[in-house]
Amino acid sequence: MIIDTTEIETINSFSKLESLKEVYGIIWMLFPILTLVLGITIGVLVIVWLEREISAGIQQRIGPEYAGPLGILQALADGTKLLLKENLIPSTGDTRLFSIGPSIAVISIFLSYSVIPFGDHLVLADLSIGVFFWIAISSIAPVGLLMSGYGSNNKYSFLGGLRAAAQSISYEIPLALCVLSISLRVIRLSNSLSTVDIVEAQSKYGFWGWNLWRQPIGFIVFLISSLAECERLPFDLPEAEEELVAGYQTEYSGIKFGLFYIASYLNLLVSSLFVTVLYLGGWNLSIPYIFVPELFGINKRGKVFGTLIGIFITLAKTYLFLFIPIATRWTLPRLRMDQLLNLGWKFLLPISLGNLLLTTSSQLLSL
Amino acid sequence: MLPMITEFINYGQQTIRAARYIGQGFMITLSHANRLPVTIQYPYEKLITSERFRGRIHFEFDKCIACEVCVRVCPIDLPVVDWKLETDIRKKRLLNYSIDFGICIFCGNCVEYCPTNCLSMTEEYELSTYDRHELNYNQIALGRLPMSVIDDYTIRTISNLPQIKNE
Repeated sequence: MIIDTTEIETINSFSKLESLKEVYGIIWMLFPILTLVLGITIGVLVIVWLEREISAGIQQRIGPEYAGPLGILQALADGTKLLLKENLIPSTGDTRLFSIGPSIAVISIFLSYSVIPFGDHLVLADLSIGVFFWIAISSIAPVGLLMSGYGSNNKYSFLGGLRAAAQSISYEIPLALCVLSISLRVIRLSNSLSTVDIVEAQSKYGFWGWNLWRQPIGFIVFLISSLAECERLPFDLPEAEEELVAGYQTEYSGIKFGLFYIASYLNLLVSSLFVTVLYLGGWNLSIPYIFVPELFGINKRGKVFGTLIGIFITLAKTYLFLFIPIATRWTLPRLRMDQLLNLGWKFLLPISLGNLLLTTSSQLLSL
Repeated sequence: MLPMITEFINYGQQTIRAARYIGQGFMITLSHANRLPVTIQYPYEKLITSERFRGRIHFEFDKCIACEVCVRVCPIDLPVVDWKLETDIRKKRLLNYSIDFGICIFCGNCVEYCPTNCLSMTEEYELSTYDRHELNYNQIALGRLPMSVIDDYTIRTISNLPQIKNE
């Protein structure tokens, strides 16, 4: 009798342990994801602040300064305001598409963060197809925009959605070709397309090993087409105020409107991170003759410190690169729709194809 | 074959020219980045208005002879002059005078033509109210002198001259 109860107790405790282990496993799985999402959200706040302060500097203004120190919390204040606003849904529109649209746009961009290496092998999902996962995922966002444009039942919204789809699809091709010409070398070196391997391939020779020097044409094409993918200013036709009120955002209010802003800044951050990973050498310090892993390689604390430094370097490169899109916003006027498509199909596509051809032939020769 | 090559060269030259123009644009944008801000932090800092600034109109009740010149020169006949003829002294006596600043365009014609200089321009420009009827100033409201921005020690004043700031 007594033995039986103890046995049952032990069995119970074992099953409890098992379930606890499962719970811990799930938490352990969710922990990096949640950390990444939190980090990205903070990153977006930083971008908003940077954009407002740099824009103010360029336009000889002061910019936000009252919300928090130096106005850092301005984006939070704006977000809170949008959260508290009334959520209007057009009565004759397609309510389901209208509600799903913005979340699809945001989620698809969030997914593409999973292949970005922030530090030495610090990546959520080290897929062997890496960058092409991003290319594939980023094509989902225009579907969300198209849905929200169609669901609004408003001609401006619909035109904006169509323009967003046309623009994203046209500029996806040069973008993919640029990525392809980079990945050729990586395939030759390590037989995979993982973003980690792309960064590792640039780790030699420090600053001079960056893909920026191997692919200058590719870099420029990538820069232009990522601007177009983010719908940033020279290419912000889908939300051109003078023609389309606000494009696919016209009928939105409250937090759904905020989601579009989050999506556009997330997109900006992800393409900037990809520029860092693909062209600017990722987490490497990039100063020749100084190797981070040798400096703090041996003990565990040194490793943690090295990882932190890697994250810092990645983010520093990313945010420094962000100055270019923000300065572009206040320099170049918006293109017309036909100019946009001409630039995409008649200039960027042939140039990126030529770049791919050059890269391939040089790879063949060096083999 | 040859026209194609020249076309290519032309296209290349055009591209280089476009790139150079974009570069020039960026230089202009960046040259603005290290200039001082030209904005004024309005409720805490205010501009010193120029001498000829046309703000709210000031009115001196005792000087007015109720000649109604201000009404005649006003583009929309705005000032309301209420007077009564006193037969014993054979003079007009002013009872009420009002200007509605919700309609006034601050052209200054009344000030210019007033024969006794009882109208003048002040430097007051913060006239906003929650009710438009409050903008209809009568002689008492018109007779108030605004506080000078320079005398208000809670506000930092900034002179209107470009690039020079009073500390």
